[in-house]
Amino acid sequence: MSPAESMPRLELRGLAKSFGAVRAVRGVSLAIAPGEIHGLCGHNGAGKSTLINMLAGNVAPDAGEILLDGAPQSFAGPRDAQRAGIATVDQELSLVPTLSVAENIVLGEVGAGLLRHARRTRRRAAGLLAKVGLEDVDPDTPVDELSIGTRQLVEIARALGRDAGLLILDEPTATLSDVEIERVFRAVRGVAAQGCAVIFVSHRLGEIIGLCDRVTVMRDGDKVLDADIGEVSADGLVEAILGEQLQPAPHRKLDPRESPIALSVEGLGVPGRLADFSAELLGGRIYGLAGQVGAGASDVLRALAGLVPAATGRVRLAERRLPLGDAAGIRSCGVGFVSGDRKAEGLFIGRSILENLTVAQLGRIARGGRIGGREEMQRGRELAEAAHVPTERLGEPVGVLSGGNQQKALLGRYLLHSGVEVLLIDEPTRGVDVGGRAAIHELLREAARQGQIVVFASSELDELLELGETIITMRSGRVIATYAEGSSREDLLSDLTHREGVAA
Amino acid sequence: MRVATWQRFGPLAEWRSLRGLFTGLAALGLVVLVVLALTTDRFLSVENIKAILSSASIVGIMALGLTFITLIGSLVSLAIAATAVMGAMVFLVELNLGLVPALAISMAAGAAVTALQGLIIGAWGANPVILTIGAGFLLSGITTKASGGVIVQPTGGSWETLNSTPLGVPLGVYVMVALALLYQFVLKRTVLGRRVILIGENRDAARAAGMRIPRITAIAFAIAGASFALGGAFLGAFNKGASAQLEGTATFDVIAAVLVGGTLISGGRGSALRTLAGAIVIATISDLLLLRGFDTGAQILLKGVLVVVVVLATWVASGREGTA
Repeated sequence: MSPAESMPRLELRGLAKSFGAVRAVRGVSLAIAPGEIHGLCGHNGAGKSTLINMLAGNVAPDAGEILLDGAPQSFAGPRDAQRAGIATVDQELSLVPTLSVAENIVLGEVGAGLLRHARRTRRRAAGLLAKVGLEDVDPDTPVDELSIGTRQLVEIARALGRDAGLLILDEPTATLSDVEIERVFRAVRGVAAQGCAVIFVSHRLGEIIGLCDRVTVMRDGDKVLDADIGEVSADGLVEAILGEQLQPAPHRKLDPRESPIALSVEGLGVPGRLADFSAELLGGRIYGLAGQVGAGASDVLRALAGLVPAATGRVRLAERRLPLGDAAGIRSCGVGFVSGDRKAEGLFIGRSILENLTVAQLGRIARGGRIGGREEMQRGRELAEAAHVPTERLGEPVGVLSGGNQQKALLGRYLLHSGVEVLLIDEPTRGVDVGGRAAIHELLREAARQGQIVVFASSELDELLELGETIITMRSGRVIATYAEGSSREDLLSDLTHREGVAA
Repeated sequence: MRVATWQRFGPLAEWRSLRGLFTGLAALGLVVLVVLALTTDRFLSVENIKAILSSASIVGIMALGLTFITLIGSLVSLAIAATAVMGAMVFLVELNLGLVPALAISMAAGAAVTALQGLIIGAWGANPVILTIGAGFLLSGITTKASGGVIVQPTGGSWETLNSTPLGVPLGVYVMVALALLYQFVLKRTVLGRRVILIGENRDAARAAGMRIPRITAIAFAIAGASFALGGAFLGAFNKGASAQLEGTATFDVIAAVLVGGTLISGGRGSALRTLAGAIVIATISDLLLLRGFDTGAQILLKGVLVVVVVLATWVASGREGTA
């Protein structure tokens, strides 16, 4: 393309960073060419986030160099990194919900004047939105009216608007459905074709292999693999990430143990979101609700959990009618719900791991309304062991745990005869790494083995195929098909995407 | 190891050093306080310390109740003074039944009117500030009307018990300390207290976990209302009567005690013992300024500064920091 072709866009030389005694990144060197899409993967805590934070100017390196197009850089803050042409899109959305799409796109641009030309801003925003496949989104729409997936694409459009030479995407697909992921991929490929280098962080190895040109794997702060994508297999990546030989996956065939309990759902509906969902769900089985964002799969779970006041229909658990719209009433009937938004609606993030584990079982521990310290600790240990959460850290705030362990701690509250017969889980492994994902799937299988009815919603096909015994596909708030015994990726994909586009 | 959102935005990144600033300010404040205390005549006398405690007691009793409202995430009540006045009047009117029944009726009335507000806030998510302003006016109207605008006199003599000073310390001080211990126990070691704190920490997560938020909010408010009325009864006994205009600044004094104690205004973090400390700190400072001859204006001014600094410090220290 240019003389710069032999010159890497980004070069790292011996980059290192410690936090106290923790050596988060230990001397990583790396080169990324212009137009290259470079995958970055590793456990939570492997050092990816620290590496990205150094590139984004959030964290200053202890040692080593960052070079852009051969020129050494030193960032005093995120603005310096932005000025140097590094654009970062975070997994946690940083759009301002009350502003319009166009306003968000120009917000915080370096060198932007105080006053802006509204029409020019809108036109520029429309052009950028088109680049990420959002031609149909009006730049004047307030961001809080968009789905999470669309917001993520707007974030990418914003990053593109900054004429970046290096685009960093930190788990952009963690909250997206497959159709939206495909849009993100198209956008990323388009950007790379124009010569922008891209760093793509993801826990989903299929995405790395499908999208990236090269891949780097980090473990314990070190770079343990750096290879062209053609040279590695998915299993090879997993081994590099885990640092050990992969055990042959336990066969997902379960005892079809007949459990006496059944959840019978008749004509469950939520105005504008879900129509006429009916199913007979049996104890000891795992049901997967397959659907893109907005397809209604989450709405089924939320309605069953009593979190949707407008829900209609008849739901019976062991001949007992569930009071729809009354979360506390439904909970006391033996239905436990795990939100897909762990931080906002799942965990009590500032409280201890112990309190988060015992929250749904206080009645068991307490005597006359009084919580015994020893009894609570004992129960907390049992639950932590069952959920595979480190038992020696029970007193620490749950927020210090990695994403996978947070999710396990959240699930833990409904384990071990907690009185929960129906377990509803929305996106069980969102933002969870490979190791954590397998552990969480195993927890859910164990719950089913104990006779619980396990119902989960997922927008990830791999997860549905791996975990779901019965899969119910949904689109636009309706059930498309139910697969009681085996279904293929192709079946699901065609059910989910039959119609053009996604429901907004 | 993630960097919190607010740190990621350029200028806000420097806010982090605020924590150091506040630690410094707190240390400086403490030094000033100690120096002032040591150089002020009569401050360290037993009599003066008793005076500080007794002036802390009535505000303290009400503030301990308010702690429940703040912890559960409903900010504050602005009907504190109105509820206390009602409590005082009911207490004085019912005194002919005897001290204990009068106290019980007064506290039950305070609990009932405040629980109703809590129920509305918990069930329909009403804004607690606005709702309690409304409730405060309503109560004031009722007490003014019912008392005919004159001072309500005690109907029995046993009110004097509330002014008694066993072992030389006013009864109100004993009640405040006992209440602080009781509420501390409720908050830390009972299912109710745990739920109050978890709801304050994350209301949506509490709902998803199946907690009965309206009921628990109503109970938290009931505890607060009973405490307001109890404080009011002491106030009525102290003044040998109660009028609708009684104690105009009580609401804000009580709020100040909770906040100076370091309970997080947004809920979920704080304790009864902190509130006890807050009430005593405020009383100590007021007393110091009084002994040094500053006027009421200066006292109020300093109270204001203290509240602002502590609220900001609590917010910064609560560490809206990144999690793993």
